[in-house]
Amino acid sequence: MDVDTPYKLTAVAELTGHEDRAWNVAWNPTKPLLASCSADKSIRLWTYTPTSSDDPNLSFTLHAAIPTVHTKTVRALAWSPSGTTLASASFDSNIGIWQREGEEDGGEEAAGEWDCVATVEGHETECKSVAWSASGNLLASCSRDKTVWVWEAEPDADFECMGVLMEHTQDVKCVAWHPTEDILASGSYDDTIKLYLDDPSEDWFCFATLTGHTSTVWALAWAPGGRYLASASDDCTIRIWKRVETHKWECVDVLKGHERTVYTISWGVGRPNTKEGEGTVNLGWLASAGGDGRINVWEFEDAPDADAKTPPAHKLIAKMDNAHGVYDINSIAWCPRKGYEDLLATAGDDGSARVWKVVPS
Amino acid sequence: MASASFNPNPTLVAPTKLSSRKKQAERRSLWVDDEEDDSGLGSEDEELIDSDEVFDLIRSISDPEHKSMSLEQLAVVSAPQIDISNERNRVLVEFTPTVPHCGMSTLIGLSIRVRLLRSLPSRFKIDIKVKPGSHQSEQTVNKQLNDKERVAAALENPALLEALETCLQSAGRRGRPADAD
Repeated sequence: MDVDTPYKLTAVAELTGHEDRAWNVAWNPTKPLLASCSADKSIRLWTYTPTSSDDPNLSFTLHAAIPTVHTKTVRALAWSPSGTTLASASFDSNIGIWQREGEEDGGEEAAGEWDCVATVEGHETECKSVAWSASGNLLASCSRDKTVWVWEAEPDADFECMGVLMEHTQDVKCVAWHPTEDILASGSYDDTIKLYLDDPSEDWFCFATLTGHTSTVWALAWAPGGRYLASASDDCTIRIWKRVETHKWECVDVLKGHERTVYTISWGVGRPNTKEGEGTVNLGWLASAGGDGRINVWEFEDAPDADAKTPPAHKLIAKMDNAHGVYDINSIAWCPRKGYEDLLATAGDDGSARVWKVVPS
Repeated sequence: MASASFNPNPTLVAPTKLSSRKKQAERRSLWVDDEEDDSGLGSEDEELIDSDEVFDLIRSISDPEHKSMSLEQLAVVSAPQIDISNERNRVLVEFTPTVPHCGMSTLIGLSIRVRLLRSLPSRFKIDIKVKPGSHQSEQTVNKQLNDKERVAAALENPALLEALETCLQSAGRRGRPADAD
């Protein structure tokens, strides 16, 4: 059942070098850097030129290969909003904090090696995901030990634990911060999603549990405005949750389009010049991928007369089968930088990271 | 590891004769015996693989509890419990724990998965499940065996990996008796 889509994905780069499964890719939000991590315990950083994804000479080159200090798989990466700090989550249960030597004093030119400036320890077993809050002041992490930790980033790469959330009954697979507010979401092997808030007079607490998925929740992605949350699951579906009250999200849609586990989703702003219909609100593009090796890109918009519980309109605008050959895709991410909003990166079981551009078909 | 036996008196079945297909497979040397071999996207990718051949790969894995016995002898695995589609690149292996409270089921399932990951062309997506109704924690065991992140982490656990390798040592026999080695 092939559908004609208005856009297609074209391959921009295939970034090789990892000696084992690549688990995650992360775009630096301010600099031309793409990071990938792998079961080979290393992180690879790629730089790209020129200044827009529309330039036909867009190309990627290896910037650094970091062996890391982790003793097991590096499972996930997250750049701080300022783009100066990279956090790595490892199966060795620790979080690595990476900064470029001399970058703060001498700027880009004088900058040297990437150093591990801190190791954040707290989890008892495999750390599976890390995420920075929009302000960059908070870092969240989660683990097979069923906990979610919230850390405050202090000067000199010091991290103070602000809360340990023990709400899930099984492994916690992913954490994701709301794009504008200090609201944290986590997804778990217990099939649920939990939402947390900081009570100024108390501690961090869980204010909502979202149920509906019938198997593990592998990934979460907030829509750019933060009104919607998308979740990807082993039940092969993606659920769209809508903010119906200040602290209440409800499932308003279930997307099908994958034949195996959906391991990863990313919600980007889409093309800045995306034509908006009469009064509709452009909600950007959601990309998903997983065990079936397929990349799907959906366009979302809110109807002008949408009420609190109306699902957003969505349509599949691009699709790519076997994007990493026969291999699973473990991670997908939209480039957050201006001028590159139509660039996607993926990481797969073949050990490669790949870059794709969404173009009209 | 628990010292109490989960099943002190398992029922044994006689190994089946080598199928003609199996001999054929050997002649073509479809798989090299080296367990480290990752066949990748080689020419063997064009070979069609049937359930008998998948069975040959896993029949001689040792049971983690009764180490001198194979999964075939204990009727944990059998060819009819293997479903393979070359068109869709899928393999589903069902196995039958010897008793419904078998605490070794996860390790057995993991050993089957690892054996197939190392031996089958990488185009195959592998699903491992206990036979419906054969285990009291069926869903829990199935979920764990098919979570790639948990499997990956398990393989980085030295104690677990050692237990697995012990079970897999005999896997290369493919139905031949131990003294034929």
